[in-house]
Amino acid sequence: MDHWESYRTKMIKTAKVRVTRLSLDPYLLKYFNKRKTYFAHDALQQCTEGDIVLLKALPEPRSKHVKHELAEIVYKVGRVVDPLTGKRVAGAEFVERLKEPSESLQEKTLSDKLRELDISASASGNQTLT
Amino acid sequence: MPMKGRFPIRRTLQYLQKGDIIFKNRVKIMTVNYNTNGDLSEGARKFVFFNIPQIQYQNPRVQIMMFKNMTPSPFLKFYLDDGEQVLVDVEGKDHKQISQHVKKILGKSEDTLQAEAEVKMQASNPANFGPKKYCLRECICEVEGQVPCPGTKPLPKEMTGKYRTKMAAQQE
Repeated sequence: MDHWESYRTKMIKTAKVRVTRLSLDPYLLKYFNKRKTYFAHDALQQCTEGDIVLLKALPEPRSKHVKHELAEIVYKVGRVVDPLTGKRVAGAEFVERLKEPSESLQEKTLSDKLRELDISASASGNQTLT
Repeated sequence: MPMKGRFPIRRTLQYLQKGDIIFKNRVKIMTVNYNTNGDLSEGARKFVFFNIPQIQYQNPRVQIMMFKNMTPSPFLKFYLDDGEQVLVDVEGKDHKQISQHVKKILGKSEDTLQAEAEVKMQASNPANFGPKKYCLRECICEVEGQVPCPGTKPLPKEMTGKYRTKMAAQQE
């Protein structure tokens, strides 16, 4: 199984995917990304260009070039979902603002205050508006 | 003449071989998502800078990919052989904590490593001579205190084959 970025091809139900693996330069002793392209079978044609995709090796080659199939789309381009929260994300921010816990606390205190006012109003018999 | 770069020690074989995270055989892919700015990703950035080369050196069969600025919080994701995925949240953690945690959950334990080393030692007999791939030494001339290789230093005349045959022929 490999992790890749998919391209556009004229072939139907096939995705052209670029894999990057780290390979050690023998002199510098530093790791660099080394690219390799693979063709993957995408039965439902779900992939678009720019998706990050998980591939799985087929037990036997499907054709001369296609030896892998699409296992799942990990990050769909433009619709990345944060795995920790499950919400949509754009860059380093969430698409919708998350509810902060302090806001909900304030609501509670406000409702408590209103209830207190009602009690005092009913007890004293005066109607006060705030 | 010092080495070039910010922390060139990362580019030494000794540093790479010191990596102690050896993944279990089930782990095939490792993915690191982190951000290039922000304090919460600091640990993840240091982890990528210092520890990833060591991990890749010790696990050459594992594919490691880095993704920058895709999500607001940094995390690691491991893809195992049977389709299982392991998500590790590293927000706010230090790079040492991250590597210790990863070693605890997906690294081979000391016992397993020792057992594997013992099996390897038993399989290879140090007394054998042969190709470097399988044995320690190829020829007795490599050992200190033995006759040096005639390729580098000529043998004394008494030891050469042609002298011996000549002496044997003379005696007859």
